[in-house]
Amino acid sequence: MKDSFRQSMKWFHTWVGLIVGWVLFFMFLTGTLGYFYQEITRWMEPERPFIEHNISNERLLDIAQAYLINNAQGVDEWDIMLPSVRDQNLRVGWRHPAEAGKKRGKYKIKVLDANTGDEIERRATGGGRLLYRMHYRFHYLPTEISYWIVGFCSMLMLLAVITGVVIHKKIFTDFFTFRAKKGLLGWLDIHNVLSVIALPFHFMITYSGLLFFLFTYMVLSTNLQTNEDELDAMLDEIYPRTAHLEKANQAAKMLDISILYQQAKTTWQADELSYVEMFAANDVNAHVLFVRHETDITYNPEDEVMVNAVTGELILQKPKEYTVTSMIHNGFFSLHEGHFAGSIARWIYFFTGLIGSAMIASGLILWTTKRKPKQLKNPNGPDFGYRLVEQLNIGTIVGLPIAIAMYFYANRLLPVDMANRVNWEANVMFISWAMLLIYPIFRPANKAWYEQLTLAALVYFALPLVNVLTTNKHLGNSLLQQDWNLAGFDLTLLVVGGCFAFAAYKFRALQVNIRPSKQAIKKVEKQCVQAMNESLLPLQQVNKDQC
Amino acid sequence: MLVLISFSFAAMMLFCLAMTKHRKQVLEDEISSLTVRFFRPFAWLLLLFTGYLSVDMYGWSIGPALFFGALTIAILLLILLLTYRAKIVPPLAVIMPLIASIGIFIN
Repeated sequence: MKDSFRQSMKWFHTWVGLIVGWVLFFMFLTGTLGYFYQEITRWMEPERPFIEHNISNERLLDIAQAYLINNAQGVDEWDIMLPSVRDQNLRVGWRHPAEAGKKRGKYKIKVLDANTGDEIERRATGGGRLLYRMHYRFHYLPTEISYWIVGFCSMLMLLAVITGVVIHKKIFTDFFTFRAKKGLLGWLDIHNVLSVIALPFHFMITYSGLLFFLFTYMVLSTNLQTNEDELDAMLDEIYPRTAHLEKANQAAKMLDISILYQQAKTTWQADELSYVEMFAANDVNAHVLFVRHETDITYNPEDEVMVNAVTGELILQKPKEYTVTSMIHNGFFSLHEGHFAGSIARWIYFFTGLIGSAMIASGLILWTTKRKPKQLKNPNGPDFGYRLVEQLNIGTIVGLPIAIAMYFYANRLLPVDMANRVNWEANVMFISWAMLLIYPIFRPANKAWYEQLTLAALVYFALPLVNVLTTNKHLGNSLLQQDWNLAGFDLTLLVVGGCFAFAAYKFRALQVNIRPSKQAIKKVEKQCVQAMNESLLPLQQVNKDQC
Repeated sequence: MLVLISFSFAAMMLFCLAMTKHRKQVLEDEISSLTVRFFRPFAWLLLLFTGYLSVDMYGWSIGPALFFGALTIAILLLILLLTYRAKIVPPLAVIMPLIASIGIFIN
């Protein structure tokens, strides 16, 4: 341990950050993509139609209900998801009967063509959901184990955030300081700036992340301090249950949902439906719930309107009973996932998520930059530990984005009727990541950085092209149809590619500057000789300048 | 949302100008120390106003969350500009809130 409090905190911050840094980077990056998981899923199912402009909610409800009457016979509960900024297709879904040996059946979503009302056959894909599920449930590991790893890493992240604030001596005087061209200082500034400007986000995301698996992590406390009944009572208090509507087992004819929707419209005084839930369909007791876009982080009862689907009367009692505890809990979830965010706020979430990833990356790079001069002086070359950190940095910070792009490539290029297609999409991603982690072992660090940055740029630039060649949902068409959902994805890929290309170019430029030309070397030698003749002190300075 | 970002940007620029180190980066002429003394209280006022605006636009629940988000983006923009294009910070800090406010009135 080190002498002063701040020193020991610094030591702690450094090593905690190093141990879990790469896992955290993975969690942050995939989690950040999760803010757009619906958009990603839509892109990954190119069979879906383009956006339908100028179609009323009533018409969409009619189409969906017509489909459900024909195809969801005997299903008591189903949902209709209306097109939104995030997913511009009409979708319906219900829980299918359980397979043998399973407790609950799978919830399946079907995408409908808003013109014809037919179901659209889509390719098998993990979509954005699989990608973002990876950030808390690692792909190849059992659920329980990955929750524990995630919890361990998040806890260390929380500690790193807190110790980071402690060891940052001049938060306010250095608030705006970014000395870009000062090497080590520059990296320190980047790390500080990225941490400080999004500190509320970092703290919130880590803390609320830990709350997600509360009962997994606090298992000792819940096991020792409560009995079965108390635990149930506690769970009930935290997770609000939707009141289950009993069927009266008397068939009845329901009114059209589009007509019932008028009730919600008058209550809200706006046409802003997000989705519809149906309970006890085709029964005397049938109820339909209209839900609009969330207007509160915790819970606003006015966002939901319940109507009796047979008589059409408004039901004032709310379907979910929220206690104060559950509202706070729900508030943390909502903050973590950004449920309430509109499109600009969602982009801000995305950027702050990227700031978080970049903060972790810069911290990892800082670790190597700090040790670099000493390591290079080492007669036997850099230590194994140092080299390992450097290789993991290259393989993760640049390698992981490439691997994620490979996931999208797999989606477009794997045969549509392939068996186990969903698994193979993920396999392709992890195989490429593994290769990119191994690659830097065989290359000098500078070259590996440059080559992987270039590769990342190429991969991201080429993805929209592959999209053009394999589907008709490419940038040209999506812009023509003004489908910003799909166009946004392709444009973002191009921007990301541009960023990597710029990074590669900058990296190269810096390397050229550092490596002195022949003339410069001669000049330095001359200076050195002169300096040696004069005294020892200037020599050290010259050396320092050149290093 | 954009109005929040631009007002936070202006507030943060005032904080920044209150520091001698950054003032030299941004402004060519030295300004009187009396004026400088007004920067910080003014910045706090503007920041408070932005917070109020956020709550007014999005309510007590979502407002504060979006305020912090807007602040993050504004500071990031400011720091990048300080490093690479310091001179355009003051005009930008005036123009952005103006355009954003006009945008609100038009809608």
